[in-house]
Amino acid sequence: MTIPRFELHVPTSVAEASELLRRYPGEAVPYAGGTELLQTMKLGLASFEHLVDVKRIPALAGIAVQPGGWLRIGATTTHREIERSALVGERLPALRLLERQVANVRVRNTGTLGGNLCFAEPHSDPAAFLLAAGARVRLGSAEGERELDVDAFIAGPLFTDRAPDELLLDVRVPPARPGRGHGFAKLAFFERPAASVACRIDVAEGAIADARVAVASACESPVLLERVGQTLVGARGADLDDALGAAVEAARHDVETFDDVNGSADYKRHLVGLLLRAAATSAYEEATRA
Amino acid sequence: MPESRTIQLVDLACTVNGRNVALRIEPRETLADVLRERLGLTGTKVSCDAQVCGACTVLLDGQPVSSCTLLAVEASGRAVRTVEGLARDGSLTPLQEAFIEHAAFQCGFCTSGMLMAATALLEEQRHLSREDVVHALEGNVCRCTGYVPIVDAVLAAAEAGQ
Ligand SMILES: Cc1cc2nc3c(=O)[nH]c(=O)nc-3n(C[C@H](O)[C@H](O)[C@H](O)COP(=O)(O)OP(=O)(O)OC[C@H]3O[C@@H](n4cnc5c(N)ncnc54)[C@H](O)[C@@H]3O)c2cc1C
Ligand code: FES
Ligand code: FES
Repeated sequence: MTIPRFELHVPTSVAEASELLRRYPGEAVPYAGGTELLQTMKLGLASFEHLVDVKRIPALAGIAVQPGGWLRIGATTTHREIERSALVGERLPALRLLERQVANVRVRNTGTLGGNLCFAEPHSDPAAFLLAAGARVRLGSAEGERELDVDAFIAGPLFTDRAPDELLLDVRVPPARPGRGHGFAKLAFFERPAASVACRIDVAEGAIADARVAVASACESPVLLERVGQTLVGARGADLDDALGAAVEAARHDVETFDDVNGSADYKRHLVGLLLRAAATSAYEEATRA
Repeated sequence: MPESRTIQLVDLACTVNGRNVALRIEPRETLADVLRERLGLTGTKVSCDAQVCGACTVLLDGQPVSSCTLLAVEASGRAVRTVEGLARDGSLTPLQEAFIEHAAFQCGFCTSGMLMAATALLEEQRHLSREDVVHALEGNVCRCTGYVPIVDAVLAAAEAGQ
């Protein structure tokens, strides 16, 4: 299948990229790894006259720990770079594990974190993780910058809060610290997952002080299940299993699943429960590790 | 407001299997198109055309990519390797030998992709478990062999010290 003709622009600054996007309203889009964009263009699902390559813009690159301990991941970082980053491995082992299981090695080598989030595909594993982790995204244009929660950024299936002339600059994950753990579990029968669940647990004085649970793939769009996290709060060692049982019930109730090739809506609710138990257990183990 | 636009052409300078290549291409040309149509390197196959099957796997600076959905301009200034670049002066690599020995192909349509994905793995990691091989080849589909001989061949090549 040939990709319809387009013009390629390779700006080296956010302002330049943003101006290009504004110069051709409706005809220009950012282009990163192209794993989603080129596929939709091949299939004729979208057509653009101008592709604005964002991979040469230094402000979108790199992984670094910032003052305060937040981990900054630039938008053009590939899945493979995250998977292989020592910083990510040390601070967020669950994210490393997640990235290792995204798609296949070829998609991981070219696909970027920014492209994944901006496409807002319902089957985004990183979105589930970043929702549970309480991550923030930074957007930039020729006008300036703004920052918002991942939760506010992902506005619906294939839909984000990004303006057409804005670029996603980076994602920032709150500090890893003693007493905090992250967990992730997914099940995939085909290339894209059937369901994935991410969890962040904070433990203080032997009890769960805060818990956040997010689900992707099984539902229309990645979501944070706020009530589900709350059911875990207060649980400690001996009653953890009961609390998990209640969280699983709450998640199966609150998640809005649907029928598709991966299975029925009921089946996916069942999966979400199983995956939640696995993700929460590993988050709790990490949080309580000495 | 119909507007006639001149077709954009861009320079592609890279190496393919160690040889310098300089071409003027359209940005929309995929790496698979350029390899097969412009350079006559038809060892790279296109099957699903959707980044799923791995038949089109080539190495870009040593890393596997789907040439079916990668713009060829992404190879600018970089090293591309295809199945044609594996054998040296007619002698096969230990991996290729192992594929023959283990009957790791039947129709052969997946083979160049399998070889390239496995070559990247073997160049990075000397000691491989069966699980390592399965993980690395997860995105390469074979309709004929049932995979076991392929994994066996890669493990044998690792043993032989590819
Ligand atoms: C076969 C296959 C399997 C997959 N499996 C999984 C999986 O298991 N889990 C998972 O989470 N994902 C999966 N994916 C999705 C994959 O993660 C994404 O395709 C990839 O990360 C997208 O990034 P990209 O750089 O290729 O984006 P592109 O295709 O370049 O861009 C995607 C969209 O984002 C926009 N965009 C890109 N970068 C920016 C930016 N910095 N600022 C503003 N807009 C931007 C583009 O305009 C476009 O609309 C799979 C994809 C394929 C093809
Ligand atoms: S042809 Fe490229 S992955 Fe199938
Ligand atoms: S040998 Fe036929 S597809 Fe693998």
